[in-house]
Amino acid sequence: MNELELQTIAEITIRTLWVCGCALLLALAIGIPIGIVLGSKRFLGRSIAVSTVNAGMGAPPVVVGLGCYILFARSGLFGGVGLIYSLTGMIIAQTLIAVPLVIGITLAAVGSLDDEWNLQVRTLGIGRVWRLWLLVREIRMGLLAAVIAALGGILSEVGASQMVGGNLDGKTRVLTTAIMMKTSQGQWEQAAGLAIVLMGLTLLVAGVLTVIQQSGRTR
Amino acid sequence: MKTQLEDGIALRASHLECHRGSGESRFKLQIDAIDLRSGEVLVILGPNGAGKSTLLRALAGLEGKSANKSIQKGEGPVTLVFQRPAALSGSAARNVRAALLGKGIPEPARRERLARALARFDISHLENQNAKTLSGGELRRLALARAFVLEPSVLLLDEPFDDLDGEGQRRLSLDLQRAIRETDVAVAMVTHDLRRALLLADRIAVLIDGRLAQFGRRDAVLEKPHSPQIAQTVGMTNLATGTVRRVVDGVRWIEVAEGFEIPTTAPVSIGEPTWIGIRPENLKLDIGRGEGQPIGKAVIESLVSDGLATVVSLRTQGLTFTTHLLSGRGLSRRLRPGDRVSLAVQPEHVHALAVGDGPIG
Repeated sequence: MNELELQTIAEITIRTLWVCGCALLLALAIGIPIGIVLGSKRFLGRSIAVSTVNAGMGAPPVVVGLGCYILFARSGLFGGVGLIYSLTGMIIAQTLIAVPLVIGITLAAVGSLDDEWNLQVRTLGIGRVWRLWLLVREIRMGLLAAVIAALGGILSEVGASQMVGGNLDGKTRVLTTAIMMKTSQGQWEQAAGLAIVLMGLTLLVAGVLTVIQQSGRTR
Repeated sequence: MKTQLEDGIALRASHLECHRGSGESRFKLQIDAIDLRSGEVLVILGPNGAGKSTLLRALAGLEGKSANKSIQKGEGPVTLVFQRPAALSGSAARNVRAALLGKGIPEPARRERLARALARFDISHLENQNAKTLSGGELRRLALARAFVLEPSVLLLDEPFDDLDGEGQRRLSLDLQRAIRETDVAVAMVTHDLRRALLLADRIAVLIDGRLAQFGRRDAVLEKPHSPQIAQTVGMTNLATGTVRRVVDGVRWIEVAEGFEIPTTAPVSIGEPTWIGIRPENLKLDIGRGEGQPIGKAVIESLVSDGLATVVSLRTQGLTFTTHLLSGRGLSRRLRPGDRVSLAVQPEHVHALAVGDGPIG
């Protein structure tokens, strides 16, 4: 590969990390509180909410992408905001893909605690914020699993990124959409190079998170 | 609600109400008034499902939302140790420290309180051990240390000896007794272990069907239960109904079966239907030692020993009685099922009340 191609790969990789990183942070910020509430509170309509989350965990990214496309397109509800073919639009679509995963895994982690865990901590007279801190600490292994699942989901998805981002060169092209394009153009060597970078990223992230997870288990 | 309470009262609750379930399975706890006193142990007894644990939770402020509910507390926190204590992840020390989170206690004081709480329950050597790997007994001690590190004014204990072996129970109750004495904490304890309860209790509350059936000094509740159901709950298992037939030298003789009379000094009237209760330890096998008034003969149905005491079940004229003998002594070794023995009882040890307080359960 020549220098120009390496520069392009680096640019696409950085963009991929930026989009995935932003989507992951947003998904965690939205999903963890909702997962904690769904896992620890009993309220009317909770089972419907849990069913919706479970369905969302298995939703095909391309369907999420289509939904976003319809909403973000010029004729759509948010057509005037200019989200279509933008990084912001891609981040929103990927967040929507990751949020159900984060909620579902957080919910399961909270549910795995003793039924009386919250009451037991309450009787120690610990304030609400510290109780939340203790809860997050208690379910940290589950939260790490949520991070791994969410990151894996958004790093590898292509449907939503293609539909919402449009794979615009220098603007919205990310690793997955670039691999798709190179493959369809018959540029196998370049597609393979990009795939190796994507696989390397995935393995690196998964490896780091797994090391953190394993060291956490022994503490 | 913190307020000024009389000296010695650590918590006073009134109009506690908790509802659970619906329809026929609906349960309601309704307590008009209850108080806990510093340095005292109140043991809450009652049949399964009577609402004992619910009462503890209501006292801890975790349940009960009735409009006129009132819980007045003195200085110091109220804390509850659950039947199945939860271990937080991390070391035993971290578990105890967690109770002090956000309370603005400087680090040297926290360290000192942590060391004292761990030592109090003899778990200092487990300080750095992962709490999730502790045994049931160790976890219970950790939960108590976590509660005591708060320096509570009121400690609520739900079955603190559950799942412990005999030696574990004995050691924990000694440590608990010492901790209560040293800290002057008011304790309310739910337990189904009557023997352990009797060792620790200063006062006893008997809950039946969500209501406080009797509440008072330990000996008063044990010796003068208000109803047969309460009597059974507090271990007065020899129950019978009869009628006062005669009074001799101030002793009333109650006929509980044809020709089988039991003497009592209780003030019951001749001809009045009466229920009587005798604690097993007060019913004696008459072997000529003059340990009471002879009341008749019975046949031994069974002898069951736990190594310390032998429980002797007896039957006579359709009535069943129980008495306790020290295991390993001559009498408990000699007796066999089917043997015919004489019974005796001191009239002042026979509790009697007019029928009407409820059926013999």
